Amino acid sequence: MEIPYNVQVREDTGVYNSKLGIWLFLASEVMLFGGLFSAYILLRTGAPVWPPIGEHGSIMHLLKETIPHATFNTVVLIASSVTMVMAWVSLKMKDLGKFRIYLGTTLICALVFLIVKYFEYSHKIHEGFVPSHDTYMALYFTLTGLHGLHIIGGMIVLGYFFGPGIKMWDNEPERFTNRIEIVGLYWHFVDLVWIFLFPILYLLN
Amino acid sequence: MSAKDMAHHIANYRKIFVYLLIGTALTVTASYMEFNVQNSIAGAVFVGLTIAAIKGYLVAANFMHLNSEKKIIHWILLLTVFFLGLLLFIPLLWDLNLMSHY
Repeated sequence: MEIPYNVQVREDTGVYNSKLGIWLFLASEVMLFGGLFSAYILLRTGAPVWPPIGEHGSIMHLLKETIPHATFNTVVLIASSVTMVMAWVSLKMKDLGKFRIYLGTTLICALVFLIVKYFEYSHKIHEGFVPSHDTYMALYFTLTGLHGLHIIGGMIVLGYFFGPGIKMWDNEPERFTNRIEIVGLYWHFVDLVWIFLFPILYLLN
Repeated sequence: MSAKDMAHHIANYRKIFVYLLIGTALTVTASYMEFNVQNSIAGAVFVGLTIAAIKGYLVAANFMHLNSEKKIIHWILLLTVFFLGLLLFIPLLWDLNLMSHY
């Protein structure tokens, strides 16, 4: 049985079903991250010193060292958002070659982001700044960890469309273009979350 | 969409990319500046989050095409923003409640 309104726009909503679905999903994601941002506000306003001083002292000196890495990661993620939207534009222009290049670049950017994050995590854990060290570190690992999981999830979906999923282009190009738009919306959301995580976790302490 | 429309979109995406890079540079610069609001970093937090909000708007409006999206999507987001505001406001209510005991 064919799923209706994958390509066609529904008259009552004005959008195709998958688009409505992804926006509802993103709304729930806003609340998920919102809950953690709320916890951040509560813990930060309630702390006499921020970031709190724990067994290994304050994380401040390490944070200052990691600002260049985090800034680099921000630029990488913004660039990945641009390549993602360009991948969609390429499909609209019926240029599959360019689509592959842009989607491949998006995947590389995501991988670079995770590699930088791995080194950042290793450095902090090596210095004893683990999630149980203080409330800042608990929030730092929860927020960046959850965001990292979203990056990995996005990479799996993007990887599918870069590999086996691209076959759909041969028979249903419009549906495939819509699928890329949908995964693009998710990817831009992940970028948007990082835009807020970057200042609150690295800069404004 | 025509080729002309697409060319317009591409030019816009490039422009937004540059704006986002400038925004990132400004956020990093702002974090090093002394705004000196009641000897706290409240000024830096305000400036940093304002720039982040502008960057977020640029991504949502242009890359996520919210500037040309249908009403139903706007309504979903409006409702989400309302509840998000409520969620973020709860800690402040907690703080106010505590303060009233002193």
